[in-house]
Amino acid sequence: MDSVASGIQEPFDLIRLSLSERVFVKLRGDRELTGVLHAYDGHMNLILSDVEETIMIVDQPEGAVNGPSTVNIAKRKMDMLFVRGDGVILVSRKYIKWGAALSMSY
Amino acid sequence: MLIFSVFKTLTDQQVTVELKNDLSITGTLKSVDQFLNIRLDSIKVLDEARHPHMMAVKNCFIRGSVVRYVQLPAEHVDTQLLEDATRREAAAQQKR
Amino acid sequence: MDSLIPFTTSGSLVDCVDRKMLVVLRDGRKLQGVLRSYDQFANLVLEDTVERIYHQDVFAETWRGLFLIRGENVVLLGEIDLDQEDEIPLRQVDWSVLEPYHKQEVAAKKQRDELKAQVLYDRHGFCKEGGEGDGY
Repeated sequence: MDSVASGIQEPFDLIRLSLSERVFVKLRGDRELTGVLHAYDGHMNLILSDVEETIMIVDQPEGAVNGPSTVNIAKRKMDMLFVRGDGVILVSRKYIKWGAALSMSY
Repeated sequence: MLIFSVFKTLTDQQVTVELKNDLSITGTLKSVDQFLNIRLDSIKVLDEARHPHMMAVKNCFIRGSVVRYVQLPAEHVDTQLLEDATRREAAAQQKR
Repeated sequence: MDSLIPFTTSGSLVDCVDRKMLVVLRDGRKLQGVLRSYDQFANLVLEDTVERIYHQDVFAETWRGLFLIRGENVVLLGEIDLDQEDEIPLRQVDWSVLEPYHKQEVAAKKQRDELKAQVLYDRHGFCKEGGEGDGY
């Protein structure tokens, strides 16, 4: 095995180590995914299988525009998904729960 | 080039393209280019009522930059091959 | 060697030239016109263009003329099936009648999206794009 291929020298090497593993992907806008990583490229385009998508839905209160909004989630499953790289914020092995001290690992 | 090659192998398959504006279109993948622009034939729009302008459209060209996802037919994707090709492409990138 | 022409932008769009096309833009506008020219960036020349707005089961259109559209603003190009077009179950009304409803809808959506972006930025670590951003 080429020793250069197994060292970590740059951020994409971290992603390379996650091939065929389940990853967590945070996307721009309102979505998060988990899926098994099968391919990526320099644009951070990804191909994932066995994907679960989490969509954040902000419910706005009737009447009072400045009242507290609630965030609900909707989930969706997809067998095989191409994700365009320009929408990707981050790719991780650990699930990152914002605002909480805990993180769960897969 | 890798992802472009994957899409080329999937021509004539049914895919669902989800755009960044939340429009989802299912259709037959007719062609793709290096920018991952997509040509779909015999399209069906999800939630047609919300997108009345698409009613008379049967085929379309979608600019790659507006795509959020493409749902692929799992049975036509060889994940092992993909992973090997990705590792090769990553190694080739490093050598530059 | 197999011809790779279908796998170029030119290949995808060549049979759309001189056809009536629907163009959806990133700002949400829907244009219909005859595609006269294009290039590898999906810059387009659209002739005899009308802009259409839709509201519930009604639509309106207004004449816009000749357009050169910068490719980065294009979402999609749709080939209009002229037979299907006659069968659309929508009623046409005057532009001046529908425009205020349409503007209201657009403004309401913008407000909802801004509030949503703010909430997700504050509580869930998403970015605030501001305006159209990259992925509008």
